[in-house]
Amino acid sequence: MEFILTVAVLLPLAAAFLAFLFPAKKPGAIRALAIFATGVSLLLTLYIFSQFDRTQSGYQFVHGIEWLPTLGISLKFGVDGISMTLLLLVGFVSFAGTLVSHEIHDRQKEYYILFLALTTGISGTFATMDLFFFYFFYELAVIPMYLLIGMWGSLPAGKHGRTKEYATMKLTLYLTAGAVLALIGLLSIYFEAGTMDIEKLQHNIWLSGTTQMRVFPCLLFGFGFLASMWPFHTWSPLGYAAAPTAASMMHAGVLKKLGAYGIIRLALPLLPEGARHWANLIAILACFNILYAGWSALTQKDWKFVIGYSSVSHMGYVLLGIATLNVVGVSGAVLLMFAHGVMAALTFSLIGFFYHQTHNRFVPDLSGLARKIPFIGVCMVMAVMASSGLPGFANFVSEVMVFIGAWQQGSMVFRVATICAVWGIVVTATYLLWAVRTSFFGPFDEKWNMLKDATTLKQKFPYVLLIAVLLTVGFCPRLLTDIIKNSVATIVDKQDVRGQETLAQRDLQQQAKVQQ
Amino acid sequence: MMGLYVTQFECLVALWGIIILLVDAFSPIRDKRMIGYMAAGFVVVALLYSFMLQPLDGTFFHGMYRFDAFALFFKRLFLLALAFVLVMAAEFSPRIESGVAEFYALLMFCATGMLLIASVNDFVLLFVALELVTITFYILASYLRRQVASLEAGTKYLILGALSSGFTVYGIAYIFGTTGTTNFDTLSAQLSTLHAPPSTAFTFGMLLVLTGLGFKIASVPFQIWAPDVYQGAPTPVTAFLAVGSKAAGFALLLRVLYAGLLPVSGVWATLLLVLSAATLLYGNLGAIPQRNIKRLLGYSSIGHAGYMLMGIAAMNALGVGAVLFYLGQYAFTNLCAFLAIIATTAVTGSDEIPSFSGLGKRSPILGLALFLAMMSLAGVPPLSGFFGKFQLFAAVIERARYDWHYYVLAGIGAAAVIISLYFYLGIGRAIYLQEAEDATPIPVSPAMRIALYVCMLAMIGLGIFQRPLVDAAIKAANVFALR
Repeated sequence: MEFILTVAVLLPLAAAFLAFLFPAKKPGAIRALAIFATGVSLLLTLYIFSQFDRTQSGYQFVHGIEWLPTLGISLKFGVDGISMTLLLLVGFVSFAGTLVSHEIHDRQKEYYILFLALTTGISGTFATMDLFFFYFFYELAVIPMYLLIGMWGSLPAGKHGRTKEYATMKLTLYLTAGAVLALIGLLSIYFEAGTMDIEKLQHNIWLSGTTQMRVFPCLLFGFGFLASMWPFHTWSPLGYAAAPTAASMMHAGVLKKLGAYGIIRLALPLLPEGARHWANLIAILACFNILYAGWSALTQKDWKFVIGYSSVSHMGYVLLGIATLNVVGVSGAVLLMFAHGVMAALTFSLIGFFYHQTHNRFVPDLSGLARKIPFIGVCMVMAVMASSGLPGFANFVSEVMVFIGAWQQGSMVFRVATICAVWGIVVTATYLLWAVRTSFFGPFDEKWNMLKDATTLKQKFPYVLLIAVLLTVGFCPRLLTDIIKNSVATIVDKQDVRGQETLAQRDLQQQAKVQQ
Repeated sequence: MMGLYVTQFECLVALWGIIILLVDAFSPIRDKRMIGYMAAGFVVVALLYSFMLQPLDGTFFHGMYRFDAFALFFKRLFLLALAFVLVMAAEFSPRIESGVAEFYALLMFCATGMLLIASVNDFVLLFVALELVTITFYILASYLRRQVASLEAGTKYLILGALSSGFTVYGIAYIFGTTGTTNFDTLSAQLSTLHAPPSTAFTFGMLLVLTGLGFKIASVPFQIWAPDVYQGAPTPVTAFLAVGSKAAGFALLLRVLYAGLLPVSGVWATLLLVLSAATLLYGNLGAIPQRNIKRLLGYSSIGHAGYMLMGIAAMNALGVGAVLFYLGQYAFTNLCAFLAIIATTAVTGSDEIPSFSGLGKRSPILGLALFLAMMSLAGVPPLSGFFGKFQLFAAVIERARYDWHYYVLAGIGAAAVIISLYFYLGIGRAIYLQEAEDATPIPVSPAMRIALYVCMLAMIGLGIFQRPLVDAAIKAANVFALR
């Protein structure tokens, strides 16, 4: 049964190749194929989750083949608690994304091929156990995104005066810049350690202190570009605003998490000393993320820009959780990645729903929409509540975990950062509630009379699915936290052990020098 | 007899070139395209046949000639390039006023020179083979006699090429004068007995030879000709310059540096490091403002010379393997781009990038082929260019553990990747994001279609299943005694 994970990851890519052979005149068949592929992939992921051994911390469902022995590359997939959680996220978001893509009418064949390739790029990165393929899948996601935004996106003219072509080019260049920076770091690790196997790297290899100090910033900023770490975040709100609905969902929901995942999966366990050395910097940048992006969101008028800046702000919490380097904080970061991913996908799909009809997402222009589209209004209120961290939603649990972790960390920097982060929640609530109040409530504007609500189950299903996930995890967080904590513990605990070892070694060396 | 055996490809290709001339003179084949397709078919057969041969140890023709794995690797590469370029030439032939058969024949003679270059083991043979290639290119570049741009390309190539040939032969004279040999093996043996740095006269000669080779691969500071010649020359010739001539330059560079001059690597290693960085920046920055796609590819070819120099500067076995892999995949990628350009310009008649607008709708296959080629040049997975760059960076980082300057080189390479993505995506934007003014479909002939499919499959195939080419490259790289 081990290969089931490989199937779940590669199925969308296989479907993309299959769709390539379909005639472009039959978009219905291609769409059905895409729904089938992402749906089956989701079911397989859920099955893996149900069979997941919750007591173990290591990789499970490991399956792979040797790929290029001369460079030590093997195509190997496996999941631990962290990647399991994020694979579930990919499954839900990609399935919901395919379902809401019915609004696409132009060049559907290319659209679904790119969307499926994007899905495999992301889930492959989460599931792979090999450095080369980690990078391979990571980069695989970039070009489909470029074309999805460039070909099917829309960016209403605003005071920013940017076109969607500008937005998509900026996004691609930023992501590639981050990727190449990370590549230099990854290659340095490979030549120091002599293996590409992430599991072996994590357990058997101990890199020298100086290497760790030098390589860590490469990985931190390389992956930080993708995680929209301040001040490298400017591509992100623009990119979301220009993207078509499903691409925004995938991007804000999942693709962005690749960056944070890269830091957790590679930078923390492989470079523990480097992580400790740079942790304060991450915490400070995280505060900038939370507050700077939050205040930027306050001034936005376009729905997608509001949510775009809000998601940059939320990545700040994730980064703060990572910086704590303790089990509670890092686990909180992982859970927040999941919760925020589902929430962001939900919000963007809802925006897409009414934007498709109004062709206007300028908050002050919209008013009283909830009267015409009550279902969407209710969903949007729930999404906003989740985003503001209301108890009952998964976001609440994860944010609290991040705060506890950061406070426990104990140092002055982290205490201040925690206070900033809690203040950030107030900022979040301010702009989100303003946006919802203005556009969904208040006096009804007659020009929106033509709006149609989601009435059939088929239309409602993607939104209901995402809300159900948020509530389920919100009420039973242990579904995920148990497995996350186990795996995070192996990363963080080893860090402590290793740190003490090296400190002890260093003391010994210093003593030896003194004696000489 | 052995001599004939090891030079069989050179003999066959030259003979076929002569047959083309004779057939054209004595038989009334109206459709000149048929000659080109037949020649391409013959070369494909020769290419397939070459996979039945095994490399041989030792030297031939009094130590001048080798038939090792490295030589065989490059012979296959040149035959492959020749086959595609002949298809291109056949597609292009309606645009040639007169002398179509001679055009094919010249391509064959040029390829003969390249096949010789693959096996060079002596400076004298190096010069002869190099001149055979360069002189045919003088003619080929200015083949469209009524077009000023083509004439300009030919003249520029002639003047600068003659100058660089002069440098090369002058440098060879210095090397011979100081060491008394022109043979790479003897030279290497002599140099390894040196305990002091080599004499100034020898170093001077070596630098002159590197000048000539730098001209061939279009590395800074001998790159000035590339954009003009790429833009002006007939497109099949441009393709052959980009794929064949560049590979020939690298074959010579690898042979000269690693078979002949390895003992004095201390003298040239830093030089190559600096040249590589400068070439990377020049090529990629220069490409940004270009509006003509052939000119842009000219700058891009300078940039790619920079990437491959990274692998040579790294001076490890990984680097040589990476350069060979890169050349192999670069051939498919560039050929794919030029095939698509030839098919498109046959209808639009313009090389300007805006005339490629909406190509994805006008002809899905041409749009896809050109887009994939650009993405492979930019180094995006799952295309072969990605793995090529990955290996080159790996080679540089491996070296960087001993010498931190190589981290700087890797950083410049990384910057070059990002810059290059910008202008390659500029072409991608024209193909898919912009609407065509004239949306009439573009016809694609069956031969062109096959060639495009082969190139696209090779780009994707080598990007995902890298192993066959990596193994072949490593086998070829092993002829040099590098770690």
